[in-house]
Amino acid sequence: MSAHVTSMRDALYEAPGPRTKRLTVIGTTISLALVAVGAALIVRQFYITGQLDAAYWSFFTEWNTWRYLLEGLVGTVRVALVAAVISLVLGVLLMFGRISSFPPLAVLSRVVIDFFRGVPSLLLIYFFFLVVPQYGLQLPSFWMITLPVSLAASGVLAEVFRAGVNAVPKGQTEAALSIGLTPTKTMLRIVLPQALRIVVPSLISQLVVVVKDTTVAYVVSYPDLMQNARVLITTHDSVVSVYLVVALIYILINFAINQLSIAMARRSGNPIISRETENPT
Amino acid sequence: MGFAEILELYGANYAKAVFETMSMTFVCFCFAMAIAILITVLRVSPIKPLRIVGDLYVQIFRNIPGVALLVVVAYALPNLKVVLPWKTCVEVTVVLLASAFGSENFMTGINAIGVGQIEAARSIGLTFGQTMRKIVIPQALRSAVLPMTNLLIATMLSTSLGSQVPLNPQELTGLVSYITTRSTGAGIVPFVISALCYAGTAVLMGVLGNLIDKKVRVIR
Repeated sequence: MSAHVTSMRDALYEAPGPRTKRLTVIGTTISLALVAVGAALIVRQFYITGQLDAAYWSFFTEWNTWRYLLEGLVGTVRVALVAAVISLVLGVLLMFGRISSFPPLAVLSRVVIDFFRGVPSLLLIYFFFLVVPQYGLQLPSFWMITLPVSLAASGVLAEVFRAGVNAVPKGQTEAALSIGLTPTKTMLRIVLPQALRIVVPSLISQLVVVVKDTTVAYVVSYPDLMQNARVLITTHDSVVSVYLVVALIYILINFAINQLSIAMARRSGNPIISRETENPT
Repeated sequence: MGFAEILELYGANYAKAVFETMSMTFVCFCFAMAIAILITVLRVSPIKPLRIVGDLYVQIFRNIPGVALLVVVAYALPNLKVVLPWKTCVEVTVVLLASAFGSENFMTGINAIGVGQIEAARSIGLTFGQTMRKIVIPQALRSAVLPMTNLLIATMLSTSLGSQVPLNPQELTGLVSYITTRSTGAGIVPFVISALCYAGTAVLMGVLGNLIDKKVRVIR
């Protein structure tokens, strides 16, 4: 994609003449200076508020700090992977419901999909954390975070799968039916395997949303990366450094997942089907 | 407790919460659009450092989890002598997140136009400004309708981050946690009311966005 972006970006401008070249150089210099000044101001603010003191950063040189953050990261990965598997299964089931030729099932699936797509994952977490226990069902904290994250993702995944099924050429279905396969067999043997291959990059990019949603695990006191960071903050009395480091870790993880999904999309030639914009929560 | 009882006890709170969620959504979306346009201009500008700043902005804020950004804005910034009211913290967080996705939508819209059209525009003698005004921006805006509708919905869902800081009045998600911890035996009803408010609005936004998209879409 980036090759295409660059070409479009550059296509907007004619080949620069001597005057434009000069202007570009001046503009580049001024903007570089502005960026440098901005960065300097930020560093200065850190300095005058004492946030650059060694006390706030030195514990990052200790293995114990990283081990603790790593344990949190394992918790995050565990929730994300289990939620990913559950939402894949639920997503496929909801998609089958949505495209079913039995109207009540189709309508019901559509309502369920729209519900989970239209409700914030935080609200679903409060449902499992505050509402479910009132009915006498006390879930372990792992499931109190994993189930709402799975449900929130399943709605979006159902639509991704549906887009994948629609992307399989109609002729495939017609051919399968005409050689005598039943509609069910056509779906399971011909359409679904191709659809799954088409949506692989999209599924990977959806993983970003799942990882983002797991960060609210502290609500249910499940030890994920964010929760462990909060503990670290109380032990070292250092809010800024810990939150910045943790935010950076999340950004790098999600960036890596996104790059992987883009690379897969480019290699396979299948587009990334998302909710157009993923849920930024 | 039943619907009637909850609404009698907390009806006023719900009215305020709906207003709070919707007004935050509206304010954040407007600011996010303005910043998204600015960032997109940086990203297509011919000046390299500005492009890098724009790209970096988008990569940071589309990959950071909302909660991680909120805690930085709400709890880390005060240590740097930047103290914002709670509600502003939530709004700043949502705007930063949404503007990154908004800029991505605009870039996708611009990229979809195709190099050929720009070359054609230049070859018939349009200036850079004219190419932008007559060719690029109208098409980019039209093809951005559906993604931006989804972004509006996502912005509404992100305002639920407001439940993680003490807001007064509360928004729809925070109110559920408030009612459920205050009234024992409130049951599922407070959750259902809030969920229906969100999902109903989301469906409505989706339908409207689709209608607008059908009217203005560029068929290629």
